[in-house]
Amino acid sequence: MTSSPDSQPLHLRATGCRTALGNARATCDGLLLGRRALQFLPVLGADGGDPVPLAPLPERGPAETAPPGWLPCLDALAAEIPDAPWGAARHPVFVTSSNFGVGSLYAFQRTRDSRHLATGMPFATVEFLRQRLGWGSNVAVLSHACVSAHVGLLVAGRVLHAGLAESALVFSFDFISPFVAGGFHALKILNGGMPAPFSDRATGSIGLGDGAAFAVLDRGRGGCRLAAQATYNEMHHFTANRPDGAGFAACLEPIQAAAGGRRLWIKGHGTGTLEAGRLEAVTLARLFPEAPLVSWKGSLGHTLGSCGLVELAITIEALASGRTPGTVAAAPPCFADTVATESFANGGYDGVILASNAFGGAHAACLLSHD
Amino acid sequence: MIERHIHAVAIEDPGHEEPARTRERLRDIFPAGSTRRMTQLGLVLGSVLHPIAPREEDAVVYASAYAETGALEAYLASFPTASPMLFQTSIHPSAVQQVLIARERSVRQFYPLTGRLQLVAHAVQTALLAPAARSILCGGEERRLRLLEHDTGSPETFAFALALSADPSGALGTLGLDASDAPEGSICLPDFFSALRDRRPLREAAAPGLTVILSWT
Repeated sequence: MTSSPDSQPLHLRATGCRTALGNARATCDGLLLGRRALQFLPVLGADGGDPVPLAPLPERGPAETAPPGWLPCLDALAAEIPDAPWGAARHPVFVTSSNFGVGSLYAFQRTRDSRHLATGMPFATVEFLRQRLGWGSNVAVLSHACVSAHVGLLVAGRVLHAGLAESALVFSFDFISPFVAGGFHALKILNGGMPAPFSDRATGSIGLGDGAAFAVLDRGRGGCRLAAQATYNEMHHFTANRPDGAGFAACLEPIQAAAGGRRLWIKGHGTGTLEAGRLEAVTLARLFPEAPLVSWKGSLGHTLGSCGLVELAITIEALASGRTPGTVAAAPPCFADTVATESFANGGYDGVILASNAFGGAHAACLLSHD
Repeated sequence: MIERHIHAVAIEDPGHEEPARTRERLRDIFPAGSTRRMTQLGLVLGSVLHPIAPREEDAVVYASAYAETGALEAYLASFPTASPMLFQTSIHPSAVQQVLIARERSVRQFYPLTGRLQLVAHAVQTALLAPAARSILCGGEERRLRLLEHDTGSPETFAFALALSADPSGALGTLGLDASDAPEGSICLPDFFSALRDRRPLREAAAPGLTVILSWT
C-alpha cells in the first residue's frame, strides 16, 4: 500500500510574504517586539463608516484605485521568487485567494469606471497578474475562502509527487476592501474592538489585514519541508463550527499521526472570535498538550485566503531567528494553558503545525518539519 | 497518462431559465425550507450532486469561472448597509457549500477552482490526483445578463457532476490527462459541459503540457 501524497515530504525551496509590517523578516521582527499593525480605520475606506481594526499595507491609500493600490506589493513580492519558467508545463503556478480583486468590483459598482474591471473577476485578476509577472498559462486558480492557501499547497504537492512538475509556485494574496470589511462588519465580528486571539473575554472581535505570500515547492531534500497536509470540511453551517469541535479534530488526525514523537509548537488560526477560538485552542491542547499555541492575527489582522501562506513564511523566518513570536494582544485568561502570549525560543522543537479555518467549517493544517 | 473511470454523469441544462422557476422545479430534492436562500447555481449544483450523493471520504472538486455572480451583484447593491447573508453566499465555493450544508454532509476533501481558459485542465488534474477512492468533479455557472455585458457573468445556466474511480467495471467512460509537448491549450467550462451533455469524446490540449481526454464506452 502506498502512502497518501499528502504525507510525503515536500521541500520548501523559498518563501516570502508582505504584510502591513513589511516583508517576512520585518514582519517576524515586528511580531517579536509585540507590534500591532492593526489600527482603527473606517470600515468602508474612503466611503467612511464605523472605525474597525484594519492593517493595510503602508503604501495603500483608503480609496480603491485603477490599477489597484496593492499592485506594487505584488510586484515587490514577485521579485523575491527564484527564477524559473513559471507557468510553463513543468513549472506550474497555483494562485490562491479568497477575494482576488473584488475591491475593484466594489469600485466599479460605485463609479461605473470600466478600468476597474481589469481586476474585477477572479479570472481577470489572475490574467492581469499573469501577464504583468511574465508567467505562462499553466496557472491553476483555487479559492476556498480562508483556507485557500493551504489548499493551493496541497494540490501543488500532489502535482509534484505525481511527477507532473519539477517545481511549483504557490502565490497567494488578499487585500482589504469595503466589500470584505463591510461583510465582516455586517456579521458583527469586525467591530469596535481589537482582536485578542484565544483570550476568554466577553466580546469577540477580529481585525483584517492585507497579506500576500509565495512558496516555491520541489521534491528536494533538507531545509524546511511540509511533512503532512490535511483538510476537513464540516458543512455544518456557513459561519459556525460543530459545537463539539469534531471538525477541528478530524482535520488534525492525519497531522497528529504524522507528527508522532516530534516536539512541536503550533501556529493556530486564532482570529479573535470566541467560539471558534475556544474550539480550536481546546482541541489543540487536547491533541498536543505539550505544544505552545500562538496566533499572529492580533497584530496583522486576518489576511483571509492568504493567511496560511503568509503565516508559513513568517514561521520560516521565526525558525531562522530562533524565536517564535507570541500571541500578540492576547492576555490571560486564555481558552487553554497552552496559549503562548510571549515569544519563546524555538531551538528545542523539530516541527510546527500550521492551521487555518474558513467559512463552511473548512479546516486545513500542515506539519512543517525542519533540520 | 493518469485516468479514472466515469461511473455517473449528471447534467443540468436549464439555459435561460429564470431563478424562480429553477427553485420551483428543484424544490423537492432539497430538505424542507432550505431552498429559500439558495442561489440558482446552488440549486442546479444540488440537482446534479443529488444522485451522486457525496460521502465523507470522497474528494469533491468544483469548477466555476463566474460562480456566485447573482449573490455578488445583490451584495454590492446592499451597500452601505451590507447584507451578511449575501456576503457569505457570495464566496466562490458557496454553491457546493449551500448543497452540502443543507444536508449536513461533511467531506474531507473539497477543492474549489476558478479561472477560465485553463480551468478545465486544472480541475480535471485535481480530481484525478486526489487520493480518494471516488472523486466527484462538478461545476457550473448561473446566467447573469446584466453582468454579461461587462464579461463578469455567464450567458447560460448549467451544471454537471461526474463520479470517478479507478474501477473500470461498468464504467460509462474514462476521463484522463496526458502529459504533452503542447506549449499552450485551453478548454472552457461550457465546452467541457457540452461534451458531457452530448456524450462527445474530447482530446484537446487544455493547458501547457496537459491534454484532457474524455472517452465514452
